[in-house]
Amino acid sequence: MRLIQLTVDGRRYDVPVNDDELLLDVLRDKIGAYSVREGCGVGACGACTVLVGGTSVSSCLARAVRYDGAELTTADGLPDDDEVLSAFVESQAMQCGYCIPGFVLMAHELLAENPQPDREQIAAHLEGNICRCGTYREICRAVEVAAERRART
Amino acid sequence: MTQTAPETCVDSGVGARRPRVGAADKVRGRLRHVADRPHGGCAHVAVHRSTRPHARITSIDVSAAAAVPGVEAVVTGADLYKVLGDRMFTGPAFSDQPPLAVDRVRYVGEPVVAVLARDVATAREAAELVYVEYEDLEPIYDVADALAQRAFVHDALRPSVVFGDLRHLAGKTQTNIAYEYNLKLGDPERAAAGGTAVDLEFWAPPVHHVPIELPATIGWVEAGRLELYSTTQTPSYVRQAVADMLDLPLSHVRVRVAPLGGSFGSKMYDRLEPLVAALAWLHGREVRMVASREEAFLLTTRHGAGVISSMSADAEGNLTSAVADVRYDTGAYADIGPRITAKSGMVAAGPYKIPNVAIRSRCIYTNKPSAGPFRGFGVPQVTWSHESLIDELARARGEDPAAFRRRNLLREGDESYLGTVMHSADFVGCLDAVTEAIGWDTPLDRGSGRWRRGRGVAVGVKAVLTPTVANAVLQLNQDLSATLMISTVDMGQGSDTIMPQIVAEVLSMDAEQIRVVAVDTDVTPYDTITAGSRSTYHTGNAVRGVAERMRERLLDLAAKRAGGSRKDLKLTGGGVLNTATGEVYRLSEIIHEHFGARGATLTEEFNFTTSWQPYDKETGRSAKVTEHWFAAAAAVRLLVDRWTGRVRVEHLAVAGDVGRAINPTLVEQQLAGGAIMGLGHALFDELVFDQGQMLNGTLLDYQLPSVKDMPAMLTPIIVESPHATGPFGAKGVGETGVIPIAPAVANAVRDAVGVRITRLPLSPERVLQAMDEAGVEK
Repeated sequence: MRLIQLTVDGRRYDVPVNDDELLLDVLRDKIGAYSVREGCGVGACGACTVLVGGTSVSSCLARAVRYDGAELTTADGLPDDDEVLSAFVESQAMQCGYCIPGFVLMAHELLAENPQPDREQIAAHLEGNICRCGTYREICRAVEVAAERRART
Repeated sequence: MTQTAPETCVDSGVGARRPRVGAADKVRGRLRHVADRPHGGCAHVAVHRSTRPHARITSIDVSAAAAVPGVEAVVTGADLYKVLGDRMFTGPAFSDQPPLAVDRVRYVGEPVVAVLARDVATAREAAELVYVEYEDLEPIYDVADALAQRAFVHDALRPSVVFGDLRHLAGKTQTNIAYEYNLKLGDPERAAAGGTAVDLEFWAPPVHHVPIELPATIGWVEAGRLELYSTTQTPSYVRQAVADMLDLPLSHVRVRVAPLGGSFGSKMYDRLEPLVAALAWLHGREVRMVASREEAFLLTTRHGAGVISSMSADAEGNLTSAVADVRYDTGAYADIGPRITAKSGMVAAGPYKIPNVAIRSRCIYTNKPSAGPFRGFGVPQVTWSHESLIDELARARGEDPAAFRRRNLLREGDESYLGTVMHSADFVGCLDAVTEAIGWDTPLDRGSGRWRRGRGVAVGVKAVLTPTVANAVLQLNQDLSATLMISTVDMGQGSDTIMPQIVAEVLSMDAEQIRVVAVDTDVTPYDTITAGSRSTYHTGNAVRGVAERMRERLLDLAAKRAGGSRKDLKLTGGGVLNTATGEVYRLSEIIHEHFGARGATLTEEFNFTTSWQPYDKETGRSAKVTEHWFAAAAAVRLLVDRWTGRVRVEHLAVAGDVGRAINPTLVEQQLAGGAIMGLGHALFDELVFDQGQMLNGTLLDYQLPSVKDMPAMLTPIIVESPHATGPFGAKGVGETGVIPIAPAVANAVRDAVGVRITRLPLSPERVLQAMDEAGVEK
């Protein structure tokens, strides 16, 4: 057991972890960050995505001890006026909604790198996330809406 | 008479594009799912699984597992059998599946021993230390092995008590056929002679649902009752199954459900629940099991199915006969396979007017993971067959495939070959809508060089699950908010959004004021299941009924103010309007007056139950085989890369007759979502088995449609031919979109490069191989 410090959505947590514990399990079981979800356990679906200093990480493949001192963002922690969140809501970009927080974070990462992505660039960036309900049309639209909205403000 | 009250104005009622309930919470991930329940101090379950497809268990050594620090208990099937006896065998159609194998294993991956430990890692580590000795039995890898009837997956058939018409199969030995359905109409052989006929053999492989939320069940004992919190589409079924298994009154089992993170048929009937319930009950301990993705692949699959079929037409282009021999591979346990075999096998000739039909549909045991319900309930597999076949028949006649279908499609009032008269199933409307959407009648640029372009179309038909039972309870609060209690599970289809729209429409309310209670069998009333696209019609009718009762109740109460007569009273958005006097009686005041207390609620309930006429034993026909039909069509324009065999979809249009769209946005999302799932089945989805071993049961190996597999254009189209007894004419839509996709794609590939592929999926290798075999120039 080692005590590590994680800053999740602006709050600091000191959590004891084993060397082999996954970041996903620590976030869920020790911090209660339930928007971070297991879908495959092998980094192939994107449901467990978190942003670490703005970069997307599959927390189901990450050992928690390596993130001592890191600043993490989850979809739950985004500010209320976040353009990506509102664009997803208005575009009806969800059905069951289980995978959507992962898409929201991937959209954030994309727009930070490329504020005006075209359809192909959006698809290329979201390719590793699976929405089994098949809400891809609305998800892509939401990313475009968020980009337009950011460009205006 | 002038009215002083405002006109009724409901913009969240039936037909409104009401935003999905909980949208903001879903986007942030704030909606809690079953596995989000905190779990300090419970026992975690891991299972040791069979490494053999078919074997007798000769000994089990659990000593090493039990010695691992942190392990609380190690439980075998024999341990459970000592306490539960034959009650431990459960299943919706056949009671043939134990939560842990007893004496014999029937597929690679079958649970044999359960370990309870302080955490998941310890439980899984200990489970690996269990040592089982087997004596191999002859394995039955596929349908052909099974039909050879040399070795048998089960010694005797064990139909459950749920379906009376399966009872005669009890105790039948020396067979791998769990169930057989036969339909006979006219003389297909004689009818086919002299006309144009085609015959082909089709195969649709097993595939997996892969909802991204993993199955999870948590169970504990509280006040002498068993509590379950579980990812299930069938809470009422689970309560009954667990009560039967533990020999408890229904009142002593409580099943609660959180909104599901997708399911598509995978979280139904007996999944993790029997094992967790048995362990929690016998150990008096809170027990938690969240399946890993690899385990989820083993819990249930979609039936692989073969169809040997033929179809014929006369010189005028009218269908004269159809024959289909359908073989559903149900794996080691029947689950709902016998029902799929009958209810979906029966439409194996498609939605056409055909005077001579013979269908044989069989549910066949093999030594593979059990196959169960999957969006479409066995219909996509037979649609794959009849829609490919009729396309070839049209081509053999030199006729446009859409026009040929159009002439032969069943229309309103036609009696189908099943014996049932068609109503509210607008196949022609769906076909016309999708062909028009992709420009079927416009000239097609066939492409050049390595790319070849083609167009394809397909239609589909499915019967709704019948008979079933739905109940609704509505509480109207004095402040005009309301609480709706139903046992429909929202798993993304949007029932929590549309059911309040029905109440809002009847009571002239704002749907935002109506909350649907999370399913809890202690609170929410019995409902057969959330499956088979049945809820909009069945539960929707119960909801409409309860709202109408509430309206009558309010009018009765208002009548006291209006001098005892209801004659001139009308419920409006503002209250009860007396059209004679122009007075408006506020509902809050009426309710307060009635009870003489503040904060009281009016409660009403309503039951909606459908019935059917069982199939004739000789002919397999029935005057009412189903309560209603789903009609679907898809049209696709695509490119085939002749060098690589890769298919690129340019435009996919999908239409479904939903009777009436309660919420058009949600209907379009279901149609489009089903179509995308169907594209996966068409192009790459496939569970691969080798000697009974699943080879690709992880998401590294099992491909699912991603955003990159989206067609350049996807057009969902709502067709509305109102159902006479649907709530406001409505029917369901959950399965419609998936049904016609694979054959529409294959028909377009046929159009593009001239090859007929009869085995799914249309992987690049398979397309290339077919082109090679046909000698198509590359």
